[in-house]
Amino acid sequence: MYRYDQIDRTLVNERVAQFRDQTHRFLAGELSEDEFRPLRLRNGLYIQRYAPMLRVSIPYGLLASKQLRMLAHIARHYDRDYGHFTTRQNIQYNWPALERVPDILADLASVEMHAIQTSGNCIRNITADHLAGVAPDEIADPRPYCEIIRQWATLHPEFSYLPRKFKIAVTASPADRAAVEIHDVGVRLRRDAFGESGFEILAGGGLGRTPIVGKLIRSFLPQADLLAYLEAILRVYNRHGRRDNIHKARIKILVRTLGAEEFTRQVEQEFQAARAFAPRLTAQAVEHMRSFFAPPPYQVLQDAEPAIGSVSAGTPAYDAWLRYNTRRHKVPGYRVVFVSLKKHGEAPGDISGTQMDALANLADRVSFGMVRATHDQNLVLADVPQSALADVWRELDALGLATANIGTLTDMICCPGLDFCSLANAGSIDIARQIHARFDDLDYLYDLGPIEIKMSGCMNACGHHHIGHIGILGVDKHGKEWYQITIGGSSAAPAALGEVIGPSVPKEQVAETIARLLEVYVRERRGEDERFLDAVRRLGIEPFQERVYETNHSPA
Amino acid sequence: MRRIIRRRELVADDVRYAGEPADAGTRAVQPAGEFIAALSAGGAAGAGDASGAGDASGAGDASGGGSAVLLAPPDDVETLAPHLSLLQLIVVEFPKIGEGRGFSQARLLRQRYGYRGELRARGALKRDQLFFLARCGFDSFDLDPAENLEAALGALDAFSVAYQDGSDALVHVQRRASPA
Repeated sequence: MYRYDQIDRTLVNERVAQFRDQTHRFLAGELSEDEFRPLRLRNGLYIQRYAPMLRVSIPYGLLASKQLRMLAHIARHYDRDYGHFTTRQNIQYNWPALERVPDILADLASVEMHAIQTSGNCIRNITADHLAGVAPDEIADPRPYCEIIRQWATLHPEFSYLPRKFKIAVTASPADRAAVEIHDVGVRLRRDAFGESGFEILAGGGLGRTPIVGKLIRSFLPQADLLAYLEAILRVYNRHGRRDNIHKARIKILVRTLGAEEFTRQVEQEFQAARAFAPRLTAQAVEHMRSFFAPPPYQVLQDAEPAIGSVSAGTPAYDAWLRYNTRRHKVPGYRVVFVSLKKHGEAPGDISGTQMDALANLADRVSFGMVRATHDQNLVLADVPQSALADVWRELDALGLATANIGTLTDMICCPGLDFCSLANAGSIDIARQIHARFDDLDYLYDLGPIEIKMSGCMNACGHHHIGHIGILGVDKHGKEWYQITIGGSSAAPAALGEVIGPSVPKEQVAETIARLLEVYVRERRGEDERFLDAVRRLGIEPFQERVYETNHSPA
Repeated sequence: MRRIIRRRELVADDVRYAGEPADAGTRAVQPAGEFIAALSAGGAAGAGDASGAGDASGAGDASGGGSAVLLAPPDDVETLAPHLSLLQLIVVEFPKIGEGRGFSQARLLRQRYGYRGELRARGALKRDQLFFLARCGFDSFDLDPAENLEAALGALDAFSVAYQDGSDALVHVQRRASPA
């Protein structure tokens, strides 16, 4: 992974000092709430329903065990002994005291971490494929580019006061586990006919109250021009993005208003005009960065025989875990292990300090001391020798981190919702509980195959509901929590936005509504290989609507 | 008398903005649009007359002449670009907290159009924005009147390193990654 040098260390330390001064001035009354807000947001600090919320940056989801231990320490020492992993591969703390946040940031800096630009109208954490470097299907490791973009974006002099937040995601795999099509800018690694590295660039995607799939604006950008092209996009956006209406300020609205063609023309024009002064990414700089992401010292091993996941290898629970919570690794003899943060009874994405510490120790023993956060709120041990899998399972099981549900219905994405967030209209953690309780039969879940449920407590869509195979959106109706259901969304290429099936349903009927959707699916399904999403695409939403809104279940 | 930061020093401001009394300052500033319109109407000499409050002929200081204009956030620097040699001061307005177009305006004026005169940021700005502003090429700052300017001077050095190239000599990532 990337290791800080003196420059990086100096920068985060100076940032801590700056924020300490800003916090002090706010508490002393020298900065008004309006003046302090953009400053604290740029350090990931929100003022929430009950307390401040601090969002810590985990660049492209990659954590060393030492860093995970620090996150555990912060949870214990400054919070209520837990943290919440988010859809941007970051972690949030829900109960820190404002005056102690500078100390938290100093602790983070001691392990090469920070909370810079995890909120605010600036370039946010760069996200990437959580299987980067180990996925058999990737073109190259995208993380060196992510780190290059992260550094370029950090305290960027020109682009730190944008019209609205700005999210960049990078993938190197056709499967697109980074959801690049729903980002302000999506970057896909490509090679041209001569094998030269470059990128496909998408712009103008996003969720929120106006969900839009990003448009392709450059089919091949040479590697050297990556930062120059990003600067051109950002400059067009910074100058022409709307600032009069917060709901129309994202770049997706600018792209939609201008049209993708005109937007692209303006970006290309700016790109050409700025060439003389734009940053140029040298091959040497890329190689230097790549050296930080060299593969760990794998042993020469053979893949287990028979192939893992296909045949019983122990207890049924272990077999299920192997099948659902592990994935193929590109190096023989290794396996990718998912750590499920979707246990029944726990808020999706939540993890305790004890669990974090234990996981850090486990990572040191079996996965080269590294852990990854996924955008669907789980963790990953990416490099586990197959011979260690049974031990890893036993340990994770004892920690409550081995629920064998990755990719199934209960592996839900869920925002903090009304329980914590001051923006939310409705709870989402309660709904997760309701769904867990209703669908507690794992065999039934396995029969259903892969289904993604994504849930947001308001239309800001932190839970990515638009791109869930089943999306759940909390809405407020006369002070009551109701839920709008969409089906057919997907973040995998080609991305699709879900369609609303009809009027929203009251809180107590959410799980019942999902049960009815599944009933239709099971009835209409063409063989085991047809996923729920495929069936919705084939059938359209009508048969699902019919069943959901049959009498005796008539939402207002 | 208003005080500003100019070239890292606290100085009394000699600029008079529209609506300020005649004795507020000796250098009058006119909106960039008016300045350009006057130029196209009657050449550079007429610029001052076209602006009721402005007085372009007197707007230059004794040392070198030149006019002073005000850029609002939506103004295109492109339209001003052909006339930069006539200017000795460009004031870029930041009317609201969070306004960010001025950062791009400054970058373009300095880099693309080679403007070398005084470039001032004015408005709802605190010391916390100074580092970004200076790196974009601003060299004078008319901050929020409530700001403590002595403390603000120090904020210009809040960071001693940076990841991007800027209008300063801070070490940045490209230089680091390509050791000479």
